[in-house]
Amino acid sequence: MVDEIRSKAKELLTDGTVECVIGYERATDGVTARPLFAYTAEEIDRFIMDNTCVHNLARYLLDRKGKPTAVVVKPCDSRTINLLVQENQIERDKVFAIGVTCPGVVEAHWGEASDEAQPRCVTCSLEVPAVYDYLVTMPGERQTRTGFPDLERMETMSPEERREFWERQFERCIRCHACRQVCPGCYCPICFVDQLDPTWVGIRNAPPENQVWHLIRAFHLAGRCIECGECQRVCPVGIPLMLLNQKLAAEVEGMFDFRPGLDAETLPPFAVFKKEELEAER
Amino acid sequence: MDMNGGPKIVGFLCNWCSYAGADMAGTSRMSYPANIRIIRVPCSGRVDPLLVVKSFQQGADGVLVAGCHPGDCHYSEGNYYARRRFGLLRPLLDFVGVEQERLRLEWVSSTEGKKFSQVVSSFQEELERLGPRENRG
Repeated sequence: MVDEIRSKAKELLTDGTVECVIGYERATDGVTARPLFAYTAEEIDRFIMDNTCVHNLARYLLDRKGKPTAVVVKPCDSRTINLLVQENQIERDKVFAIGVTCPGVVEAHWGEASDEAQPRCVTCSLEVPAVYDYLVTMPGERQTRTGFPDLERMETMSPEERREFWERQFERCIRCHACRQVCPGCYCPICFVDQLDPTWVGIRNAPPENQVWHLIRAFHLAGRCIECGECQRVCPVGIPLMLLNQKLAAEVEGMFDFRPGLDAETLPPFAVFKKEELEAER
Repeated sequence: MDMNGGPKIVGFLCNWCSYAGADMAGTSRMSYPANIRIIRVPCSGRVDPLLVVKSFQQGADGVLVAGCHPGDCHYSEGNYYARRRFGLLRPLLDFVGVEQERLRLEWVSSTEGKKFSQVVSSFQEELERLGPRENRG
C-alpha cells in the first residue's frame, strides 16, 4: 500500500504536476509518525502509511496556497479540502489528494503506540475519503463504531452537573492555543483571542476567561468542523474539545441537515437562511 | 450574587425596531423592570455570539437580543442570520450548564412598546425562577 503512495508521489513530482508531496514518515523514536514534506524522489522513499499516521496533513495546504501540492489524506482529513475550497482558501486544481481508506488510527505517544483507537475514530462515519484524485486502501480491521456515548452521557446530566464538569475541564486549560494552531478551520490572520483592544479574553488564566475562549472557538467552527479531532489530540491537558464540536455538529445536522466538508459546493449553514424556520425553537 | 437588585439582564436592541419599541414603552409611560441594561446595536444580525458569551462571563444573568420581525429587517435579512446563530448558540450554552432560557431572541417592532415591556417582565420572572448564575467571572 505504501508502495502505491510512493510510486504515485514520484510520478506526480517527476511529471511536474506538483512541487511538493505531503505525507508521513517515521519519527526518530521509531514508533510514531510525523509529517514529511517531500520535494525530491529520494525523500519520497521515506513515506510510510499505517495506523500511527494521526496528523491531519491537509491543514498544511493553507501554508502552500497557490503552489501545486499533493497531500496524503485519510477520510476525515479529506473533508478539510472541501471545506477550504468552499471557503475560497485553496484552489482545488492546485491540490492533488492521495486518498487513503482508513480503518481508524491509534493512540500514539512518543516512543509508544497502543492498540487503542483514537476517540475520533470510534465516532467516525467515513471509511472512504470524501474527495480524492487517487485512492489507496489501508489494510486493517475497521474500528468498532460506538456512536457518541460521551455526548449521550452529557445529555443525561443536569445543567448544574454540566456546569461543574466544564468548569473542571476549563480550569486546566493553559491557553496554549494548540487547538487553534492545529485546526484546519482556524486560519483568521488575527484571532479574537489575540486581540487586546477590545480584550475579549482576559490575560488571567481562570475558568470564566477560558470558557469564553472555548465556547467561541467551538462556535466559530459550528457547521465548519470536519471532525478530524486534531484539537483534542494535541491538547496538552486533555480537555475533551471534540465534545463541544460534536454537540454543535449534531445540532447543525438536526437543524439544517448539513455536514461540512462532504462536498465543496453546498453553502455553510450560517451563510444562508430560510424565511420560514426555527420560530418554534426561538 | 446580589439578587437585591434582581437579575441582571443585558439587552441588545436593534436600532430600527426594538430600540424604538423600548422608546415607545417609555413615552407611553409603560413600566418595565429596571434590571435591563440596554445596548443599542444597528441590527440583531450585528450581535456576535461573542458579545453574548462575554456578557454572561461578566456577570449577566440573562441576555435579551431583540430585533425586527422576520421580513421587516431594515437591512432586509440580518434578523434571519441572527435567528440561525442564536438558535445554535442556545443549545451550546445549555451544554456547558448555562440554562438556555437565559438567552432570549425576541421580535419587537417600533410600535410594540407594550410587547417590549411584557418581554422584559416575563424574562425577569423567568430569571428569578432560575436563580442567580454561579460561574461568573
